[in-house]
Amino acid sequence: MIEKLRSNWRLTLLTVILLVSLFMIFSPTMAPQTNVGGENATTGDRLTNLQYGLDLAGGTRIRAPLIGMTAENVAIGNESTTNVAAAVANELPNSDTTDVTVRRGTINGPTVEAVDPNVSESQFGEALGGAGYSYETIRDGLTQETRDEAINVIEGKVNQAGLSGASVQQVTDGTGFFILIEVPGQDRSDVIDLIEQRGNVRIDIYHQNNAGEYVTERAVLTQDDFASISNARQPDDRSPNPRVPVSIRQENGIAETFQSSVVETGVAQPGGAICRYEESPQNTDSCLQLVVDGDVINSFGMNGDLANSMRTGDWARSPSFVLTTTSFEEAQEIAINLRAGALPAPLAIDQGTTSFVSPTQGENFRTDSLIIGILAILTVSGVVFARYREPQVAAPMVLTAFSEVLILLGFAAYLGYPLDLSVIASFIAVLGTGVDDLVIIADGVMAEGDVSSNRVFSSRFKKAFWVIGVAAATTIIAMSPLAVLSLGDLRGFAIFTILGVLVGVFVTRPAYGDILRNLLTKR
Amino acid sequence: MAQLSVPTVDYTQYSNRQLVAVPLALLAVALLVIGGWYLLTGAPANLGLEFVGGSEIRIDDPGGNAAQQIETAFSAQPDSVRQIAADDTYILTCAEGAVDTPDGGNQLSVLEQQAEAAGFSIQASSSVSPSFGANTQTIALGGVLVAFLGMSVLVFVMFRSIAPSVAVIASAFSDVVLPLAMMNLLGINLSLGTVAALLMLIGYSVDSDILLNNSILRESGDFYESTSRAMRTGVTMTLTSIAAMAVMTVAAYLFGIQIMTAIGIVLVVGLLADLMNTYLLNVSLLRWYVNRGVNA
Repeated sequence: MIEKLRSNWRLTLLTVILLVSLFMIFSPTMAPQTNVGGENATTGDRLTNLQYGLDLAGGTRIRAPLIGMTAENVAIGNESTTNVAAAVANELPNSDTTDVTVRRGTINGPTVEAVDPNVSESQFGEALGGAGYSYETIRDGLTQETRDEAINVIEGKVNQAGLSGASVQQVTDGTGFFILIEVPGQDRSDVIDLIEQRGNVRIDIYHQNNAGEYVTERAVLTQDDFASISNARQPDDRSPNPRVPVSIRQENGIAETFQSSVVETGVAQPGGAICRYEESPQNTDSCLQLVVDGDVINSFGMNGDLANSMRTGDWARSPSFVLTTTSFEEAQEIAINLRAGALPAPLAIDQGTTSFVSPTQGENFRTDSLIIGILAILTVSGVVFARYREPQVAAPMVLTAFSEVLILLGFAAYLGYPLDLSVIASFIAVLGTGVDDLVIIADGVMAEGDVSSNRVFSSRFKKAFWVIGVAAATTIIAMSPLAVLSLGDLRGFAIFTILGVLVGVFVTRPAYGDILRNLLTKR
Repeated sequence: MAQLSVPTVDYTQYSNRQLVAVPLALLAVALLVIGGWYLLTGAPANLGLEFVGGSEIRIDDPGGNAAQQIETAFSAQPDSVRQIAADDTYILTCAEGAVDTPDGGNQLSVLEQQAEAAGFSIQASSSVSPSFGANTQTIALGGVLVAFLGMSVLVFVMFRSIAPSVAVIASAFSDVVLPLAMMNLLGINLSLGTVAALLMLIGYSVDSDILLNNSILRESGDFYESTSRAMRTGVTMTLTSIAAMAVMTVAAYLFGIQIMTAIGIVLVVGLLADLMNTYLLNVSLLRWYVNRGVNA
């Protein structure tokens, strides 16, 4: 028995790998620990451990570049990065400090990044010069650090919005970097609404200056000044507006500075302030303004109690505060933006790609591709049986080719690689090349009459295998550009075609040789 | 069950020149078509949405007079509307810029809003920006070139002599060019799927050529014996692949799965071209190579 297993070790190996693959696909113990789809998982089914990609499960995929340019090796000396950012932003038309990022210690030395899409490269260069910083080069694109930060922020936003199973990663097409966001089960427009804004939240104060003109004091509170952010609240008896309760940081006198600004500008005037900015901006008490990405979302005054506690200075000892908005959706967005932080650069969805497949369409594609796969197997079987007419030769051929597909599915389950339409297409392509090579083996071995001895068999098998090896190497070389470059959805196709060819050459096709030898040398 | 038997060709009846004429003529026509396309349109093929940018949206069959409902629902006339019978949906495509977008909004978002406003449910949608598409074009072209060069180098290393290697490479080149020209004539757009298929063809087509070369150059038997032996195997192989791909193409077309349709149709045409190139072009080059001492 053992002797037999050893002399047929290729066949034994195939059997073992097949069993392992089946185990990977079906065993509940191999199920992914954290189901990728989360609670309302649509990305996997319960029967198998296979994960489905967005094509087959439904969901939204967005691939978009971050906008901005980077000045490298900027001579900023020992100056603080905040000061440099402020100085450069000051020289740029309509730019805030949030549009300029200064970093030390990147691989290109100290860098300054400008992310306002309206700023040209020459304007940026002039601004750096105007602020007194020399630099080596300005290039399109951002630093890896900024891209990582952007990925963290987007992940934060997606998680804060309760979208489970999403993935955010960086991909490159060789010319630039893109952020790839995949969210199962969500509509395209919902995902775009969530991520397209940078989400810079700040508070301005709109008030009259000493000369009686209305002016805006910008950024009395910014993103970093908030200590905690509660969930968005619907309007209720306590307040007629949707709102986000927040508290302000006490360190470094942040709360106190805010308190004195509010008092000085007259928002916290005795008895409170009533804001009429929307109706009559030239005749209103002082207002607090909630500003997101430069747009005023809401303007509001202050009630008497709060104004009094600010005037006495009590407020800064427990600085909690309420941001009111005009709609609950807005309140939710503000809360998400405050918690996840602002994107360090705008995401240019219009310079990338988006795709959406509804969950029902995904289910249809799943059934459809299963049908196509079965049809392909039947067709191949039909041709092979018609050609060889000997079930002993043809049946193992079809089974061997099919086992290649099973092993690939096992790989996919083991890796947790999400199956999509292009991966299924690669299974069919592998089935095709697999049968091709088995035909070469069968014809090579059976040519020129009977195969009487093991020796004759091995020499013919080796000859046939030379052709298979070269053909496999060619396919791998032809497919490798696709596997390396991120050409959209074709990576899966290339990766699984290459895997399939490797499995074929090293496992299944040699095993078919064993089967044939047993059949032919026995006679 | 019908028996599939591979026909044997009596190559002795034809001169090398006669054998080479057909594939070379077709290759010349294909190159003319592609060159003409390039002169007329600025691109060697009809570039699909993935390469030039645009939007695509798949909506449920609204029932009733669908064509009219689609026309009234959208502010722009879609470039193409295709009905998918298998799951009662319609696929609409619009070139980028076809739809007026208020304040620089996203074209597909506008289309989605219009579809929803008209009561269609959206089954799938996708958009590609022109700049991204242009990038994809460059990368795809680069990928095909790298793959082809890699294949050529490998073939040279394996055979270590010029004529057989050139035979394999010429036939692989023609296998890629013929389907490309055919796609232009049939009005099929070049998409990412077709690029994948062209790369796959490089791998597939080399199979039968290597088999033939190997059989003639490295195995016993005279030229015609070796050729017919390699042909028996090679034609079976290619026919099996053609059958599998044809089934995939038809089924995927009916289900409206575009990436599989694209991969399938290119492989079917390419493998048919491969049959011709291997057993006319490659065979005659090899016959010339094997007999060159005799005739010279």
